[in-house]
Parts: sequence; structure tokens; C-alpha cells
Amino acid sequence: MSAKRARPLKAPDKLVFLLSFVPYLLEQQVVDVDEAAAHFGIGEEEIRDAVRLIATSGLPGATGTYQPNDLFDIDWDSFEDDDVIVIVHHVAIDDAPRLSAREASALIAGLQYLSALPENAGSASLAALMQKLTAGASATPSRLAVAESEADASLARIREAVAGGRQLEFDYRNALGIAGRRRVDPLRILSQDADWYLQAYCHTRDDVRNFRVDRMSELVVSEVPIDEHPEREVPDTLFQTSDSDFDVVVDVAPEALPLLADYLADARTVEVDSRLRVTLRLAHVHGLKRLVAGLPGLVTVVGPAEARAAVAGWADAGLAGYADAEASDRLD
Amino acid sequence: MIARVTGGERRGEVKVPVEDRLFSLVLALLATETGLLKSEILSSVRGYAERFDSSGANANLERQFERDKDDIRELGIPLETVESPDRPGDNQALRYRIPKGQYELPDEVRFTPDELALLGLAAEVWREASLSADSQRALTKLRSLGIEPHEPVIGYAPRLRVRDAAFEPLRQALDRRQAVRFRYFKPGEQAPRQRTANPLAVVLHEGRWHLHAFDLDAQEPRTFLLSRIVGEVSAVPGSSFEAPPPGIQDQVIADLNALRLANAADLAVTAGSDAEVRLGKRAALRDEDAGVIRLHYTDAAIFADELAAYGPEVRVLSPSSLRDAVRSRLQSVAEAHREGGAR
Repeated sequence: MSAKRARPLKAPDKLVFLLSFVPYLLEQQVVDVDEAAAHFGIGEEEIRDAVRLIATSGLPGATGTYQPNDLFDIDWDSFEDDDVIVIVHHVAIDDAPRLSAREASALIAGLQYLSALPENAGSASLAALMQKLTAGASATPSRLAVAESEADASLARIREAVAGGRQLEFDYRNALGIAGRRRVDPLRILSQDADWYLQAYCHTRDDVRNFRVDRMSELVVSEVPIDEHPEREVPDTLFQTSDSDFDVVVDVAPEALPLLADYLADARTVEVDSRLRVTLRLAHVHGLKRLVAGLPGLVTVVGPAEARAAVAGWADAGLAGYADAEASDRLD
Repeated sequence: MIARVTGGERRGEVKVPVEDRLFSLVLALLATETGLLKSEILSSVRGYAERFDSSGANANLERQFERDKDDIRELGIPLETVESPDRPGDNQALRYRIPKGQYELPDEVRFTPDELALLGLAAEVWREASLSADSQRALTKLRSLGIEPHEPVIGYAPRLRVRDAAFEPLRQALDRRQAVRFRYFKPGEQAPRQRTANPLAVVLHEGRWHLHAFDLDAQEPRTFLLSRIVGEVSAVPGSSFEAPPPGIQDQVIADLNALRLANAADLAVTAGSDAEVRLGKRAALRDEDAGVIRLHYTDAAIFADELAAYGPEVRVLSPSSLRDAVRSRLQSVAEAHREGGAR
């Protein structure tokens, strides 16, 4: 749980930290600065600043003058000489604060999303954990929920391969429509909203690739252990650019712009007839035609001409299917 | 209450950081049984006292106190206001306190290292600013228990984005139990129409965020798709309504599931296509020889958008309304991209 990234905290976040740090120090009794920093996932200097603040804080007291006995106190020698924190006198707080309704609901909804993971399916412990969060909130958690989604059956097998460090084989049809058997070393399961992906080293392609789980079939967990790939970097994002990418200019209805966020080549937008003209960067035209046809009336390709033609051709082919079906109906 | 002796002299001292003032206020309010008067707080608590003017002009400081109270309550800290039994209705006689029993995490709420690891992953799910900040704050509070979580669940990077601008204002109104006003573009209608509603629950179903609300014009509960909300969502000032029953969000999901099961489409999918593999995985029924699958769906317009993306790989056999919807979408895409056609 210790957070890896240190980000600048706002005053309310700092307050929450102080109110959480005090009971932690009381519980631990004696704790090293570096240990506390690792536990809370923040920098050592921030920990020292917080200790100094706490050590001079307290209650105004009957005289309103913050007399020593109304203040926190620490073992200053340990702190200054050994970087060790010991609270020797405390006031007002002893225990951990409750969660807010919003905080509890954010974690509960996050857990609901995780219920799609195979090891959590129908898990009683997950439900019990949500109950605990509800009990630990200062008010009824916000009425926010994430519906349990039907996990792809392949996910459990992929999970098994990731956990066991074993190779996977499956049939895969990429966005170009090209199908083939792949042998991969699974590295990580990634999801984005309702879509699940496997990041894996592909032996067939000799490279780290992202595979859509719903495009896999005939999945087999092999007995062969995965190879080490220390020199390969597993990208943190699903969408990576490559030299073969191409740019497309589109006009998009402003409300649909967030749906294109993954594909934007740059941050530039120009208003053209109440629409926004933006440049998208895609791996190939096959992805573009599916993207545009799935946002009918919201996105129009301006250029290049081949891209426009590919989209028109895709839609026309779809229409032709209906026309053919009607023609054969009439023959019957 | 004895007036600050040093009040005047300390003015103009180094400004006390905001978190220092808030921390001092929380400590003072936790330590009092009977509560503190506003005048006592402003004249004695660190961060206020330095700026307190004993001659009486403290309007700025009072406003500061009001904002601080709101900020503290937003964090789930139960800051109470107690009226004076002798002088009911007198704002100057109000007392403020934080009851310890309602402030502290109950003893039975303790977490195992495994549970904490799972909560860490749940917090990582959010890619939306306010939910992510709320989750991180919750984790900070739980870290105060001093339990080291087990190693994070490795090999997973689950992510959930919120791409609807309406989400955050609706979530706030939900928490504050305030009515909201927004324009809603329902498919089949010519233009967006203004709605006023009491928000009761916000749920994610089939990858889309829904608002369940009591529509004040229709005087009936309605479920809205956030993606169809046009423009801003504004809270109706001064409005309020009674809390809906707990668990209403689960009922909304159950209703959406029932709606989904009530809608079924038969689709012809091209063998060996992306549509066959991906839609096939969601099929309720399939006739492999005929290349026909049956799928349930919640919303016809959204499902038609999704099917249009597959172009020639899928053809709707039934219902005819869905078939027409997909055809008209393909038609509009084809026309917009025709050589020299309207853009």
C-alpha cells in the first residue's frame, strides 16, 4: 500500500496525514524516520517537518496560551541525533480517524471493479471488506456503485500463467484481421474500463506486445516457464507510438473529444463550424475505420483522402451486407 | 474565557500554514466536551489567534473559520454545532466540538495485510482526479493503524477512467443531497431538454455511468446516461431532499441488468472476423453453423453505435428497430466520408 509516487499535497491532504501520523506514532511508540516515510509513501524531509509541527502543536488550554503541558512533546535527542521519533506526551488524539463517506465509497467502488478479477469472483472476503469500509465511515458511503462485469473466461487462465510464470499459447486476430497462433511470456494483466489486455513478450514477434483478451481464443497454459526479459521495458501505457504510425485530421463534436483522448497526436484543437479539428495518431487505418464508424455523427475524417476513403468503404461494405440480405430475401 | 493577553503583540507574525491552523482547530475541538464558542476559537486557537482583533472587527477571520469548518467536514470529521439551551437561535452562543466517539475509527474496523493490499489495488483503479484523491486519503487514514500491507497484488494494473464531465458535479450533489439541473439529449428527441432531478445514485453498468434520480418535473424516478448530459450540471441552490435507502445503488444495477436481459438481438457475424471473436464471447446463445449469435443489450442506441463499428463483420437480423438504427448509422458515416461529400 505504500505509495510509490510523491506528489505535492494540498492543505486538507496534509491535515489528513497529520491526523493519521499521530496515532501511527503512538501505536509504534518508537519509529525511525525512514521507516515512517516508507510506510506513508512520502519523503523523509516531509516526515521530519510533520514531526516538528506536531511537537509544537497542542491545545490553547485554559489560558489560551498553549502552555507546555497542553502541547505534544517528543524525545528531541532521539529525533535530532538518531532520526528516531518517540512521542513522550500527547493530547487530544489517540486513534485513527474514520473515513469520510466519499473516501469509503471510492474504495468500495474500486473493489467492485476488482470483483471482475478471477480470484475475486464471488469472493466473500471482498464483500466483508466493503462492509468494514462502510462501518469505518463517518456517514453512509455515497451511493456510488460499479456493476460486476462478466469476466472473460480466458482471464482466469491468463492469471494462472502470470502467477505461475508459465508461457501461454493462443490464437490471436489483430485489428488488421490477421490471425495466427502466438506463443508469449505473460508479464502483466492490464485493464482499461471494460477492456482487458495482456502485456506479454511475444516469441512469435520477438517483442513486448499488448493483446486484447477478448481477441484471444484456444488459450493454453503451457508447462514451459517464461524467459527473463530484464532488458525489455514493460510500457506503463496501453497506447504506444511507433514509427509506422500515421496522422489523421478529424472534426469531432466537442462532447466526444474525451473519447479520442488516447489517439490525440498533440494538444492542438481548432474550432471549425462548432466542431473541433484535431489530429489523431493511429497505428493503421483499420483501427481508424472502426473508431470512426463506432462514433457515428460525432467524428468525421477530414484527411488524408485514403483515410476518408477507408472509412467510407467500411461503412459502405456494412450497408452492402444489408442490401445483399434483402436481395436474397426477395429471391426466396 | 480569559482574553488573550498577547493577542495584540503577536499580530504580524509569520503566517501560520493552513494545515497547522486546521490541525490546531481539530485538536482544540476534539479536546472539548462541552464545545467552544466561536469567539473562544478565534481568540485562542493557533492560526486564528495571531490575527484576532480584540476590539471586534473579525469578519475576515469569521469567514475563514466558516471555510475551515467546511473543509474539515469534507474530510469526514464530524464537526458538530451545539445550540445553547439558554439562548436557542443565537449564533454567538453556538458551540463547536468534534465528539471523539464519532471521530475515531471503531475498534472492530481493523484490516489484515491482505485486505490492505487489495485496498491499495482498489485505490489504484481510479484514473479520475477526485476519486483518486479520495482513495489516497482513505489509504493514508488506514496507514495510521500501522499495519504493513502484504506485497501488492503483482501482475495487475486495473484502470477505470471517468470520461463524463457530469460525473464530479453529480457525485457532489449526491453527497450533499442537492437537486441538480442539466440538459439531457435523449435519442429520438430533436434537441436537449432541461431536467431538474434529485440525484439518488450513480452507477457504472456495462462500461457506462448512469445517474438514477427522481425527476422533479415528471415526478418519477428516472435513469440517465451521463454521456447524454449536454453542458454543465448545476446544483439547485438551497435545495435538499431525504436520503434514499442505503443500497439503492445495488437496486439500480439490478434493474439495469433486468433491462439488459429483456433486450435480445440476433446477429449474423462473419466467420473469422473480429466481430465473431469479440461479440461471440458475450453471446447468450450461438448457432455456429449458421454464424448467428444472440446478445443482450441495455440501450439500443448505444448498442447500435457499437455494432456500426464492426462495419461488414456483423449484420443485425432482429429486432428490426436495431437493424434500422445500425443501417442509418452506417449511412451517415458513409455519406460524411463520400468523395467531396459533406463534412
